[in-house]
Amino acid sequence: MQERIKKEMKVSEFPGPEELELEKMPFEEYCRKVFDPKKTFEKPEALKGIRWLSCTMYIFTPHSAANLAELGAEVIKIEAPRMGDPMRHTSPFNEAYLYPLHDTRPMTGTGLGFAGANTNEYYITLDYHRPEAREIMYNLVRMSDGLTECYRPGTFHKWGISYKYLMEVNPRFIYVWGGGFGYGPKVFGGSYDILGQAQGGLASITGFHESFGGYPVKHSNWVIDWYSGTMITVGILAALHWRRKTGLGTMIEFSQVQMASLALGYGMPLYGRFGVVRQRWGNWDTQLCVHGIIMCGKSDYPDHPNPQMREEARYVMVSAFQDEDFAELCRVIGRPDLLQKYKTHKERVKAEAQVEIYRALEQWAADKTRTQVVEILTNAGLLAFPVLNDREVYESPHYRERGTLRWIEDPLFGDVLCQHGFSVGLLSETPRRVRWEWRPVGADNVKIYHELLGYPLKQIEEWYNKALI
Amino acid sequence: MTEIVWCKKCDTVNYLDPYNFWNFKGHVRCAECGTTYYVHLINGFYYEGPREEKSDKYIMPLYADKPYDGYSYYLPGTPERTRPFVCLPSERPPTGKPFYVKFSIRGKPTRGWAPQPPSSGLAGSMGFKWDIKKLSPEVWKEYQEKLKRGEVREW
Repeated sequence: MQERIKKEMKVSEFPGPEELELEKMPFEEYCRKVFDPKKTFEKPEALKGIRWLSCTMYIFTPHSAANLAELGAEVIKIEAPRMGDPMRHTSPFNEAYLYPLHDTRPMTGTGLGFAGANTNEYYITLDYHRPEAREIMYNLVRMSDGLTECYRPGTFHKWGISYKYLMEVNPRFIYVWGGGFGYGPKVFGGSYDILGQAQGGLASITGFHESFGGYPVKHSNWVIDWYSGTMITVGILAALHWRRKTGLGTMIEFSQVQMASLALGYGMPLYGRFGVVRQRWGNWDTQLCVHGIIMCGKSDYPDHPNPQMREEARYVMVSAFQDEDFAELCRVIGRPDLLQKYKTHKERVKAEAQVEIYRALEQWAADKTRTQVVEILTNAGLLAFPVLNDREVYESPHYRERGTLRWIEDPLFGDVLCQHGFSVGLLSETPRRVRWEWRPVGADNVKIYHELLGYPLKQIEEWYNKALI
Repeated sequence: MTEIVWCKKCDTVNYLDPYNFWNFKGHVRCAECGTTYYVHLINGFYYEGPREEKSDKYIMPLYADKPYDGYSYYLPGTPERTRPFVCLPSERPPTGKPFYVKFSIRGKPTRGWAPQPPSSGLAGSMGFKWDIKKLSPEVWKEYQEKLKRGEVREW
């Protein structure tokens, strides 16, 4: 090595550890190397060693546990014998299932509505409301770090498996109660995503105003469920860190509907200061103009048999709120009068101005396709992007190259396309991953009850015959 | 949302479930008396019919009841009267026969059909591998043919 250095080597040419090599790379190349999707399964998992119990249903609470499982925790989902999570029985238009649900129900499958919320988990069954199940549950708790449940308030307490009982069994235990409303005046109310969006105030500011023919809109997907689940995981990770410092468990109470209030943004402080109730403003922005979605007159796929492609592929996101950009936009659409009228951003962000500006934009786009609009605006140096649908997202190389949209060959269910699991926060050293989408109801009964807890197979068979598991 | 065929011959209400009848042109048979009716529905609403018309090709309603008879009824899956409801996807255009997906859009096998062979594991337990060649040999064969024809893609 000494000799090699003497031979007029530059510092940049020094052989060194991989990190040094990476430092020499351009940033894009660096990212492609450290986040390489092909290497996902060669790397360690951040939460390996954590064992979590998931007594959950639907999307909201299951997703909080799936987040842990995607990061490497061993998550055991406990479902009702024979039936499983009710979410298994929901599917888009009741038509997209993967079979079988359970070995006794070969004609029933699990619907794609279940996808993404229970990834990488082990599936056992236990009717934990029965007194004879209590000791089994305690044994699971002794071997685990925490539990997430979503039942109505006090239900687990009534069954002798609430935090009060479980902290006696395992003082390091972290317990999540994902209540619909949480404690408080509406404590007995169950919740749904749409209820959360309505009760939390979010629906009131989503969609266009009535004067534009709009009304409060819920998001097509269950965004509050997904959002809440992720926020529970944040709570769990904080509780795990706290436990590392103190050795003590925590109870996390989580109100789903409150997540919708969190998404209100500046609405609450605005009301607090002025008493102003925020209104819906649809695809436009109250603080930036132009910064919204417009409709074009012609479809990108006029002859496509699928109406979603034929009729809907004609929306474009346009952003030109800086003075220079707005000037360019006015020039492109042939409306210099708008620039004269609204010279400053302060003037054009007003409601009346936005109505006029967006109308002018849509008039200009009335004889153009979405692609033409994007092309014209992009060539003019403005930010414009088509509103993509699922198919176009699938075909976009952006997601494919980043590995955030992937095909997984599920060990039991075959080929499944998934956008979750890999997509939220790429971790260079310990990437999230999907090993399997889900498993049938009770698929891991023997693995958990026999191999982990040590119950004899005969006992497991007896429970099964009694429908305790 | 569901449309009905009210058979005036026997005063039976035949319920046309939206899954099979959302966009449907064809014949449906009364669960009680067997009279066939021509119906044409678009997006869940009647476009034509129902009108009595003889046909050998028909599908049965999902459920039927008789309101003037104290609401006596035929549950889904009553032989020769109503179709069974087993959450199965419908053939397109709807014929009442199930339509199963065997392959994903890139041509690889996806386990979207029933019945599936039981796992035969203890207490519902299952292994970690779906041996398609052993458990679904006919789909495996079809898959091999697709491979030969170059119909299986990576994306």
